[in-house]
Amino acid sequence: MQSTLQQANRKLAIRMMVIACMMFGFGYVMVPFYDAFCQVLGIDRANSDFANTSAAVIRVEFDTNVDDGLAATLEALDPVLAAKPGGLLKARFRLVNKSDQPLKVRAVPSYAPARSAGLLQKLECFCFDALTLAPNEQRDVTVVLLVANELPAELGAATLSYTLHPELAPS
Amino acid sequence: MTTANDALHAPSHDHAHEEHHVSFVQRWFYATNHKDIGTLYLWFAFSMFITGGIMALCIRAELFQPGLQFWQPDFFNQLTTLHGVIMVFGAIMPAFTGLANWMLPLMIGAPDMAFARMNNWSFWLLPPAAALLMISFFVPGGAAAGGWTLYPPLSIQAGMGMDLAIFAIHLLGLSSIMGSINIVTTVLNIRAPGMTMLKMPLFGWTMLITAYLLIAVAPVLAGAVTMLLTDRHFDTHFFKAVGGGDPVLFQHIFWFFGHPEVYIMALPAFGIVSQIIPTFARKPLFGYVSMVYATCSIAILSFMVWGHHMFAVGMPASTQLFFMFLTMLIAVPTGVKVFNWIATMWQGSMTFETPMLFSIGFVCLFTVGGFSGLILAIAPVDTQMQDTYYVVAHFHYVLVAGALFSLFGATYYWLPKWTGYMYHEGRGQFHFWWSMIWFNVTFFPMHFLGLAGMPRRIPDYNMQFTDFNAMATVGAFCFGLGQIFFLFNVIHTIRGGVGKAPASPWEGANTLEWEVASPAPHHTWETPPSLEIVEKGLKAQGLLGDHHE
Ligand code: HEM
Ligand SMILES: [Cu+2]
Repeated sequence: MQSTLQQANRKLAIRMMVIACMMFGFGYVMVPFYDAFCQVLGIDRANSDFANTSAAVIRVEFDTNVDDGLAATLEALDPVLAAKPGGLLKARFRLVNKSDQPLKVRAVPSYAPARSAGLLQKLECFCFDALTLAPNEQRDVTVVLLVANELPAELGAATLSYTLHPELAPS
Repeated sequence: MTTANDALHAPSHDHAHEEHHVSFVQRWFYATNHKDIGTLYLWFAFSMFITGGIMALCIRAELFQPGLQFWQPDFFNQLTTLHGVIMVFGAIMPAFTGLANWMLPLMIGAPDMAFARMNNWSFWLLPPAAALLMISFFVPGGAAAGGWTLYPPLSIQAGMGMDLAIFAIHLLGLSSIMGSINIVTTVLNIRAPGMTMLKMPLFGWTMLITAYLLIAVAPVLAGAVTMLLTDRHFDTHFFKAVGGGDPVLFQHIFWFFGHPEVYIMALPAFGIVSQIIPTFARKPLFGYVSMVYATCSIAILSFMVWGHHMFAVGMPASTQLFFMFLTMLIAVPTGVKVFNWIATMWQGSMTFETPMLFSIGFVCLFTVGGFSGLILAIAPVDTQMQDTYYVVAHFHYVLVAGALFSLFGATYYWLPKWTGYMYHEGRGQFHFWWSMIWFNVTFFPMHFLGLAGMPRRIPDYNMQFTDFNAMATVGAFCFGLGQIFFLFNVIHTIRGGVGKAPASPWEGANTLEWEVASPAPHHTWETPPSLEIVEKGLKAQGLLGDHHE
């Protein structure tokens, strides 16, 4: 009689301990669930770029185009970066030669709005030189921008666009 | 009645003799008796209440005037943080567990809690946790200073005081889980014959549901602080933005625990006043079954509203609406409860002994706290009020006038059962009115401060807030003084009070604990109460007979 009660008690207690352990796990399950949830709903989450640029006041977007008929692709690996005044920005691009021929190309930059050219200065750019790509070569290239110390408050975003042209042999 | 009592007294006398051979250390450090453990819990909770209260007074002293008088801002933040943590986890929750330990077995006719030895463990985890928290003031960097909500990034960047707080929370959580397992098992498995679930005193119901809530959410808090700990020392990136984590995720996990936690501090209070009001209104509790359902629905809803703490963090408007409406929905079962308490008093033969005064005070002030909660539930309003003193006013109306007042009421109500003596009624009533007045002087002006925009957790403020802050500080010191008076009151009662208490000092009390002698003998209900005794009580509570269900 007494022992059946004790057995029932023990069974109930074990069941509750299992629930407690599962709820401990549930806290951890929330981590991937939250990731997936935000991704599906497109909710902007904090990410490490924001952390590195705590005083970010401008969004820099990178756009890429390729001349008609040029057998190459150009892709921005960091399509959007946040910039803080006085900081450096580094963006990566991927160049691919899709032909069996060596290819000589040059990227031509342009800014929108135009005055952001004065606020985002190129320290280093793959567009400074013509590039020669071997047949089917894939190459990662970069641009490094120096951000002006003072940014006009109304300038929320700037776009830096590159268009890939064939480099014509000097005549 | 007399025969029943004689039957009870006979075996208990034998045991009383056994007690004489038990040393102090054995009785208290190895305590397995539910009454001893309940006593330990209650004294521990009271000492933490005083500790947290002293911190509150240190905070209020600094806020008496604008400018920095006593503390550096960092120490001020340590004070608010530890005040919150200690009041929640050290004072209110252990006090309720202590009450449950003392009273549940008596009220449901059980000889003891289901797991006596685990009960000892769950209590003895508390003092080390409290010690860790107190030690943390003296380590380099001082105690945790990120608020009781421990939000990262502050809690990730803090010094080792935060580690001590995390370990303390682990211990406190473990203690609550073990205590809860004990309560659930006791309530579900060892009730007296004839006492079905829907005939159990409401205090049993609210403790049962509270224990379930704790088993569900205490591990979630433990998980959250464990993630904090690994983020701090083991290079994980749950909440560290630098490594790709998200501090907002912490808020989601914390409040998934935190909102039910608020009800963990409110539901037992509902249970207590549902015992006291029928006693002094000399009427059965109105709408017993609806009270049970209301308690259950509050508990279930409490899992779905955590987002109302995060309106200001930024969330899609549709999500804000979801949390806003669900939060407001909780007002419905809460309203049912308030209605039932008032209906119980309606046309009752009321008398106003101290426990009843505290219960009526509870109903009035908790309602104020509930309404200010409803206002905060309105998302566009909350984005204005978040982290102002309006919030501080709101949750102190719920926690002080709610949880704490119900605990005072419970203490006066059951003190004769615990000590065998009657407390001094005049002094009890003085304690009530004193607390009631100074509580309102302290916290009511905080509504105005918050509406005018005074932020919380900041040691300095704009000149325009001076008068109301000075008023709140005076109120707080007077309120604190009153609690010393309460301590003397209790000690006076333990020492003999105004005379011996009969088994049932309250005319309208019909639950089982009043069937045993006062003070309750060390061992009670070793043979379960007879069906006859149980049914007599149930009948008087309106739970048996014609108009039931
Ligand atoms: C009765 C006297 C009490 C006084 C005078 C008092 C006063 C205060 C003050 C001044 C603050 C700081 C507000 C801020 O700057 O944000 C505070 C915070 C708090 N109090 Fe109390 N309090 C009292 C009792 C209680 C009780 C019984 C509880 C029960 C749980 C409690 C829970 C809290 C919590 C959770 C916080 C928030 C801490 C934080 O911001 O992290 N207090 N209290
Ligand atoms: Cu909440």
